[in-house]
Amino acid sequence: MNERVTTVADLRKDGITARFSAWLSQERIFRWIPFVMVEGMIICVLIIPFILTIYISFLRWRANRPFEQAYLDGFRNYEAVLSDPGFWLSLGRTFYFAGSAVILELIIGFILAMLVHRIVAGRRIYITIFLIPMMVVPVVAGYNFSMIYLDSGPLNELLWPLTSLLGINPRIRWLSNPLAAQWAIILADIWQWTSLTFLIFLSGFSALPPQLINAARIMGASRAQVFLWVELPLLKPAIVIAIVIRSMEALKMFDPIILLTYGGPGTSTQTIAYYLWEQVWQFNKFAYGAAASILVLILFSVLIFVGIYLLGRQSEAVERGEV
Amino acid sequence: MKKILLSISIIVFGYSLNATAVQAESDPAADRAVNLAKQFVKDNNMKNPKINMLLNSLFRNAIPDFIAEWKGLTGIDVHTEPLGYTDIPSKIMGEAVAKTGAFDMFNDFPYTAPDAAGAQVILPLDDFAAKGKPDFTGIPGAFLAQQRYNGKLYSMVLDGDHIMLVLRKDIVENPKARAAFKSKTGKDLGCPATMADWEEQAKFFHTKAGQTRWGIKFEKPLYGAMAYRSVNFSHRHFPAYFGGLLFDKDMKPRISTKQGIKAIKAFASVVKYMPEDIQGWGTPQIYPFWGSGQAYSVMSFPSIFGYANSNPKSTVKGKQIPCVIPATTAPDGPPVRRAAEAAGTSYMVNAHGKNPELAYYFIQWLTSPSVGSRAIAHPKGFWDPYRTQNIGHPGILKKFGPEFLKATMENAKYTTSLLYIEGHYEYMKVLDNNLADVMNNNLTAEKAAAKIEKGWNRVTEDIGRDYQIKVWRKGVNDGLYVDKF
Repeated sequence: MNERVTTVADLRKDGITARFSAWLSQERIFRWIPFVMVEGMIICVLIIPFILTIYISFLRWRANRPFEQAYLDGFRNYEAVLSDPGFWLSLGRTFYFAGSAVILELIIGFILAMLVHRIVAGRRIYITIFLIPMMVVPVVAGYNFSMIYLDSGPLNELLWPLTSLLGINPRIRWLSNPLAAQWAIILADIWQWTSLTFLIFLSGFSALPPQLINAARIMGASRAQVFLWVELPLLKPAIVIAIVIRSMEALKMFDPIILLTYGGPGTSTQTIAYYLWEQVWQFNKFAYGAAASILVLILFSVLIFVGIYLLGRQSEAVERGEV
Repeated sequence: MKKILLSISIIVFGYSLNATAVQAESDPAADRAVNLAKQFVKDNNMKNPKINMLLNSLFRNAIPDFIAEWKGLTGIDVHTEPLGYTDIPSKIMGEAVAKTGAFDMFNDFPYTAPDAAGAQVILPLDDFAAKGKPDFTGIPGAFLAQQRYNGKLYSMVLDGDHIMLVLRKDIVENPKARAAFKSKTGKDLGCPATMADWEEQAKFFHTKAGQTRWGIKFEKPLYGAMAYRSVNFSHRHFPAYFGGLLFDKDMKPRISTKQGIKAIKAFASVVKYMPEDIQGWGTPQIYPFWGSGQAYSVMSFPSIFGYANSNPKSTVKGKQIPCVIPATTAPDGPPVRRAAEAAGTSYMVNAHGKNPELAYYFIQWLTSPSVGSRAIAHPKGFWDPYRTQNIGHPGILKKFGPEFLKATMENAKYTTSLLYIEGHYEYMKVLDNNLADVMNNNLTAEKAAAKIEKGWNRVTEDIGRDYQIKVWRKGVNDGLYVDKF
């Protein structure tokens, strides 16, 4: 109970602390503190590793030799990456997976959001249910799908009436047939990430100004016309946001592949993220992997800038009241 | 009175048996490891000594008993960090760069050792071995050679994972099935002599659901064969079909030869008698499926035999025949049997660890003939028999049975290493990917062989052809592969 509370006055008695405190509280110094902290963090976690990656990409080095034996070897790794058909095939597959998954996620997410937006009773329950997949840890989702996709698993059981009607072998080899395995990956991604597009579109629907819709209805527009000519244009920013965010994530697709197929059968489900992981962590080709990463970064940066440009245009349009 | 005398004689007999067992367990290599470890702790005045091991998670349930025993003997604690086997190589190679010293020893497949040795993340153990004098007697050639890389001792083995074939005893001994097979093929039913014989049996016994054969109504299909055919596993079975060295003396791939093409075709051909999605299956699918009784034969790690005999859900308990690996006829000349050491686990010492010498002593103790045999006999362990001392061990006999032991020890004679050079995982991935394309009818065997050859040459050039040639030749001469140039 006799503990003495340290006061500011006590601190000021201490010469160094007092001087430091006084120095810090100067306006010209104080305003730099957040900047220095943020920049310091960016330098440590982004800039330095990035510069190191560039440096390593010019080395002749596999991790099965000590780093001390590495030496500069010009653009050899870049040439090797660009001449490797595996790199291009993985890249192509990435766009195929990401494109297919994102398009379907957008369509399904949009339809779900539209339906839930119109529902009054039990809306919260539906929202919660549709958001659950996004909350599931990808590892758990992956293992669940590995069971679902078993040859004798529940998905084939479920599809049996349809496949038998169409005369297709009811035992679809989801994880061992190259084409089926690709769609198994895409479907797993759709299951997990449609929640996000649903959420984005639901916020878009919720933000629609009712006065515009009511005005259109009063002017005699049908339900379909209201949707096509009023609601859809107003939802454009949400659509662009969903496309950009999901595309950027889908291009990095890795979890379902490592959990379901390990890139197989053969290389049929290898995406660029898997390719990079394999080159570096399975084959110990750190320098080669660094060069491949830089090339992927350049390519994806172009796409991201296009995305940011589109987002920017949408924001400007919203500010100008054009949508 | 009689009862008292009987009780006394039982006690005396029991004691003498126990004494014999203890005497039989006397193991100078294990004792030396214990004494040297204790001396090391004393000389360095260590308080509460502890060593850390990156452990293959397959052994997480069995290893604690041995750690407790080691701690009781030496006072040295062993902390384990269990990890799935697919992730361990990258952890070891990560340690080569990071040099954290977080682990004193690594438990992994031997095939990580060449890369790890090249990266200098594992220590050559020769100096420690000179002090500890480990006992390597009774270890078959390929296992013994796998402990060394480029002339130095880097790891110690405690697991015989050479692939073998298991058949369904209830079907093989079914008189109607035997007679039908004999009349169709003119051959007696039993362990197949060659891969072609195995495929012939697989074809004969491959049965669709709903069929009635040999008086048995098959509600579910009976697949003629099962084996590993997925990415990261196919290469572990391929040597059994190839039956020779994958490269010539100058590291020129031999896959495009007549022998290679024949091997690829045979490897892919038998797949039509396997479950349709076998290319997506690993151990978690193959073992239970075999246990469910829906296959006539399986080529697998030896532990599948014990699994199917001990798993409560298994329907093939006591209904298995263990067979030596069938011979391949791919090479010119007489058929040859090659049982690849498909996995197996060994123990290595981290060069950046804090207590390398103590780690070595633990490894010497654990892999010694007596402690190693007890580990293999452990009911929760996945270690498989591999050395002659294992045959007579009562615990191992009880766990595996004499029939299995006889077959697996015979199989050990044909054990060959997978490619034991730097870049192992990359070379093998090239093989796996192209084998998958052949199995999926996307490539012919000839085109696949050409692609494999190109891919292998690329890896060799990337690592350094001269270095690879040197290590390859040394490995062949040291007996890693059974075959010679």
